[in-house]
Amino acid sequence: MSPELLFQQALNGLSFGALLFILAAGLSLVFGMMDVVNLAHGAFYMLGAYVALTVVQFTGSFWLALAAAPVALGALGLAIEPLLLRHLRGRHLDQVLLTIGVSLVIVDQIGLIWGREVRSLPFPPGLDGTVVLIGGVYPVYRLFVIAFGVALAAVIAVIYRRTKLGMLIRAGVEDAEMLGALGVNTDRLFALTFAVGAALAGLAGVIAAPVFGLQPGMDVDALLYSLVVVVVGGLGTLGGAVAGSVLVGPVDTFGKVLFQEFALAVIFAIVALVLLFKPTGLLGRIRIAR
Amino acid sequence: MTRAARWVALAAVAVGLVTFPYWSAAWETSRFATTVLRDMLVFAIFALSLDILVGHAGMPSLGHAAFFGGGAYAAGIASQRLGTDQLPITLAAAVLVAALLALVIGLLVVRSEGIFLLMLTLALAQIVFAIAFQWTAVTGGSNGLAGVSRPTLFGIDLSAPDRMYVLVAATFLVVSLLIWSLMRSPYGRALTGVRENERRMRALGYDTTRLKLSAFVVAGMIAGVAGALSAYSQRFVSPGDAGIGTSVQAFVMVLIGGAGTILGPVLGAGVVMYIQRVLSSAIPVSETVLGLVFIGFVLLARQGIVGLGRAAYARVRAP
Repeated sequence: MSPELLFQQALNGLSFGALLFILAAGLSLVFGMMDVVNLAHGAFYMLGAYVALTVVQFTGSFWLALAAAPVALGALGLAIEPLLLRHLRGRHLDQVLLTIGVSLVIVDQIGLIWGREVRSLPFPPGLDGTVVLIGGVYPVYRLFVIAFGVALAAVIAVIYRRTKLGMLIRAGVEDAEMLGALGVNTDRLFALTFAVGAALAGLAGVIAAPVFGLQPGMDVDALLYSLVVVVVGGLGTLGGAVAGSVLVGPVDTFGKVLFQEFALAVIFAIVALVLLFKPTGLLGRIRIAR
Repeated sequence: MTRAARWVALAAVAVGLVTFPYWSAAWETSRFATTVLRDMLVFAIFALSLDILVGHAGMPSLGHAAFFGGGAYAAGIASQRLGTDQLPITLAAAVLVAALLALVIGLLVVRSEGIFLLMLTLALAQIVFAIAFQWTAVTGGSNGLAGVSRPTLFGIDLSAPDRMYVLVAATFLVVSLLIWSLMRSPYGRALTGVRENERRMRALGYDTTRLKLSAFVVAGMIAGVAGALSAYSQRFVSPGDAGIGTSVQAFVMVLIGGAGTILGPVLGAGVVMYIQRVLSSAIPVSETVLGLVFIGFVLLARQGIVGLGRAAYARVRAP
């Protein structure tokens, strides 16, 4: 592998990692707070991409889509938590199963509304070019994804550490029941958490759409990759999501170059190893409820 | 109904089930119905095997398709590489591969439980899927394995649709009887004990890890049988057979029908396959219907159709 190619692949890996972070942050947040592995996370991601497609078709603005999709998904999350998940509070396994049903419904509806053929979302104007970096041309959009991921991580970190909401989230991840006993309205906090998780999935869908396109099955890929990231990094912590995505992005990218046929198997073997020998993830703490 | 009468009724149903293509031959839709019923029974076997874990042993697994797919590929590859269509050979290959996979995966997961077990089984099954999907030289990769031959047994060619159906239906009956007697045996009771209270079973001197591992292997072998039957019937193995979609499908069947029973997974397989194969040609939103039905059962009737039936029966019997 030539140095230029190596550098390019490293950038590709980082850009994929940044996307994975946006995707996995929501899943990790929801798990940390509610002890629910949201198996509809991939469906939320997919819906975000298709909402963006429609917004771009009608307004021509990628940036409007980037705002509209998370809002739409947030609203959906805000509806689903009280309507469905809340009734099974404390029954974590059943809540996980419930999200399978939610996912089936959303994916089928997407197929009905938008069709089942492969669609694409154009790169936003201004970010559709390439730049010359270390002797090779490189797409600007991928650099934008890296910058966006880093910025989002910074924003989340500030909210997490410096605001009252962040304090509530940290307390909720620690012990949601105790938080409720202290007089915090956990119903509202859980609904909000689920909405933010869905909104982040939708955001990732918009960001990913110009690179990966829109097609049936993208929900499963997104779900599996976000599970990989949070499991490797550690569920329920921001640092875990960062560590997981920074690790999985490049490993996946180089794996596809080096192992080709067995890249996927390698990724899931890593997940299995982490689950077996360091079930808390590389950084996080995991609390598995029965 | 007395015990004997119940057995006679069950035997009559069994005979009716196995001979379906013959007594329905006059129907206009007989061929289609036979195909749908055959696929229902294949998935009923698969769902029954998953329920050994989910319902009886209390080990929710989202990776059961690894054994279904493993069995399907083993049967298909064995028939193609060895150039044989002998049922005992290809079926043995399927059961053996599924058993090995279940032993390896089982060894890795038996100490986990709950959501953690769900995710670990999912990740490990994804490795099997990835190999099926990407090892093109052996599995055909994303194109799948086409042209699997229908089997022969003792010189009888089972390739005709009606004979293929009889093979599936007869296997289904044998498997359900096997699981039924296994779950009523001391072994099955011990598994139920593990589900209800593993620490207590350990305190009573049971090696619960070994119990759970053996359940994993038994469930995997039966799933391998279902996979082989699917490969024979479809004459095709797709990497999706080992994928998360197939695992989810089986889980949905078990939960809709009612976990921890024999009738439940069978009814669940019937409902799901009816929605996917029959209803889907009538209305475009069949998967949405399936999702909503599943959500409804998880929310309101976690014991499934069998649970609803029992509750209704109890209400009727009550004075």
